[in-house]
Amino acid sequence: MSPVVISAWSALTSAGIGPATVAARLRDHSGSPGGREVGSGSGYGEELPASRAHVLDGFDIRAQLGRKGTSSFDRVTGLAVVCCREALDAAAMDLDAARRARIGVSLGTTVGSLRSTSDYTRETLVAEKPYLVNPMQFPSTVMNCAAGQVAIRFGLRGVNATIAGGPLAFLNGVRYAGMTIERGYADVMLTGAAEEYTPHRAWLSHLTGATGPLVTGEGAAMFVLRRPGLPAWAGTDPDAMILAISTAYGPGGGVQADQALTGCVRRALHRAAVTGAEVSTVVTGESGTSDVSEFLPATAALGHEPGRLLPKLSFGECGAASGAIALGALLSADCSGLGLITGRGLDGSVGAALVQGRAR
Amino acid sequence: MTRVAVTGLGPVSSIGVGARAFADALRAGRSGISRITSFDPAGFPFQNAGEVRSFDPADYLTTLDPAGWGRSSQLAASAARLAVRDGGLDPASVAPGRAHAVIGTTSGESQVSEMLTAQIIDGGFAAQDPALLRQLGAGRLAHAVSEELGLTGESVTIATACSASNYALGYAYDLLVTGEADVVLAGGADSVCRWAHAGFFRLGALTASACAPFDRDRSGILTGEGGAVLLLETFEHALARGVRIQAEVLGYGVNCDASHPVAPDAASVAECMRLAHRNAGVKAEEVDYVCAHGTGTPANDLVEGGAILDVFAPSAPPVSSIKSMIGHTMGAACGFGAIAAVTAIDQGFLPPTINWANPDPALAGLDPVPNEARAATVRVVQNDGFAFGGNNAIVMLGAPR
Repeated sequence: MSPVVISAWSALTSAGIGPATVAARLRDHSGSPGGREVGSGSGYGEELPASRAHVLDGFDIRAQLGRKGTSSFDRVTGLAVVCCREALDAAAMDLDAARRARIGVSLGTTVGSLRSTSDYTRETLVAEKPYLVNPMQFPSTVMNCAAGQVAIRFGLRGVNATIAGGPLAFLNGVRYAGMTIERGYADVMLTGAAEEYTPHRAWLSHLTGATGPLVTGEGAAMFVLRRPGLPAWAGTDPDAMILAISTAYGPGGGVQADQALTGCVRRALHRAAVTGAEVSTVVTGESGTSDVSEFLPATAALGHEPGRLLPKLSFGECGAASGAIALGALLSADCSGLGLITGRGLDGSVGAALVQGRAR
Repeated sequence: MTRVAVTGLGPVSSIGVGARAFADALRAGRSGISRITSFDPAGFPFQNAGEVRSFDPADYLTTLDPAGWGRSSQLAASAARLAVRDGGLDPASVAPGRAHAVIGTTSGESQVSEMLTAQIIDGGFAAQDPALLRQLGAGRLAHAVSEELGLTGESVTIATACSASNYALGYAYDLLVTGEADVVLAGGADSVCRWAHAGFFRLGALTASACAPFDRDRSGILTGEGGAVLLLETFEHALARGVRIQAEVLGYGVNCDASHPVAPDAASVAECMRLAHRNAGVKAEEVDYVCAHGTGTPANDLVEGGAILDVFAPSAPPVSSIKSMIGHTMGAACGFGAIAAVTAIDQGFLPPTINWANPDPALAGLDPVPNEARAATVRVVQNDGFAFGGNNAIVMLGAPR
């Protein structure tokens, strides 16, 4: 994949809306997993596995987007659409219908909205007539709902993709977006990931051990990707650039996945024609300093131990969105050299991206 | 430029498992529709679907332990194993990291999700089985293929609903033509589930027992399931190992309606067809057959048929829908369409639209290949895929030259 420019971005996290809130959270981070109380009376209306979560306080879809067209939105759709609006605003592109037809979307997820699908099944099981489900809510049970609503909201008629892959969804989505741009199918790709906090997701994270010492969270981050310098209408000076990306699979996980991740980092360095010594920061999906499941395989390829950034300590375990928030964190951090983002899934899925921040 | 060969087919369908059985069923115009058994359909007005009734993953899988994976992953992995067998490929012979898995889906592990919901209803959230929760992620469909075949390249699941396996075939094509891959296993998988059955019924899009695409009196879809995976490789890789090339992937087109979450947009669908032709370097008059999305709902077939009549004016090639036989297999649908397209090219016949009785006056000039397969020389096929979210994707396949 040729390098792609990040011409603008935004994020919605427990820290708030926009890049400045990400930077502020990283500066102020206390070292504890954080989050806020989500116990009884917090509006979630169900038993929860933990008393704290990294949620967006008071996030209200209608307050953000108005009533029109939003009545059937679930939370993850709302998060994705609002985050895309922020990223598009930040990019300040001069858009008409023809240009919007050249803008695509690549959105990462785990299963879409688990609450939407589970509640739909629940209705068929508990209602007297199993077929009396709400037809308006049916599209929310399908994983591409959020990306489709982004397209509708902003008139984006280019390649519209939803990539399911949990911790790897964002890196696979960037890879897909880069390919789409390289092949000329779209000029600009709005790329990122979103995940909602609901009792369903909280229990999924908790019972599968994904949370571990962390707190479950929610959020979204979206990046406006394009070719360096092209198209002219898409942009101002780039914030940063994704120099190379590589994703892979280590069958059986474990040491196979370790080796696959090391291989991804080597390939990314090779493609970007840079050395491991130029990487000053590694951003991972790890749960703390004692979790080195990504750092060790990465440093095996880098040949040294750069600084570590562990965004889940600041923003929580946000499923697919954590991968996207990691890039936002890297762009917000004060790093002089190159950044490396890594991801590792439950099975054998791994990936790495080399990023040049704006400070260079 | 690098050319992309189809060298193996892996259908796990309600009308047959494996390339030969599937082709024979297409030729015979067999129906795979039966009364639903994967959930209790009591209480539903309509109780039929296209289930893969006899599916036992242990019959096909050599590496993957089915106990650790949901039904859709099992279907994907079984289809992939069948595809490499059909293509005579030993996956271990491919250079490390040069073989990838790209799988499309609509609802991922929907049956796992439904089992978990039943556990929540019975015992609360805490009563969910952690082992089952670990099977839930939709990304596992591609991972199951990677595990089964020992593939160390990319492992990507694309969740763009009912056109997802055309997206998967398209991305696989890109990986091959850009030199990122020698081999890609690409297709899709989905399982029959309660929530989709209920949702389509409430949308007024479900029919009772016979799906009749392009018929005047068509009344809806039947939900279906299966795994459909194709073995794709570069011509160079295929020729080096001396395998027969069944068809060529010529290119594809993708766009988005950006207008309605459910209803398709005729102009946008037509534009996607033109995009696919342009990207594949194909002229409309060169297309010999359209393997339609053809869901069988009044609105969808009208939009698709109308777009075909527009794009191919003054005369459209034959158009048939294999959904009349296997139902709507959701994320696997375009994969089955692609397998049918390759079969049409390779074996020289057009699969029929079964259950067809009366021409639709609104689609005058459309030849749906009614009820019986037809011998034909097929050089170029357009494989249509449309989806919720306005996610249109069309793959062009051609006879190997």
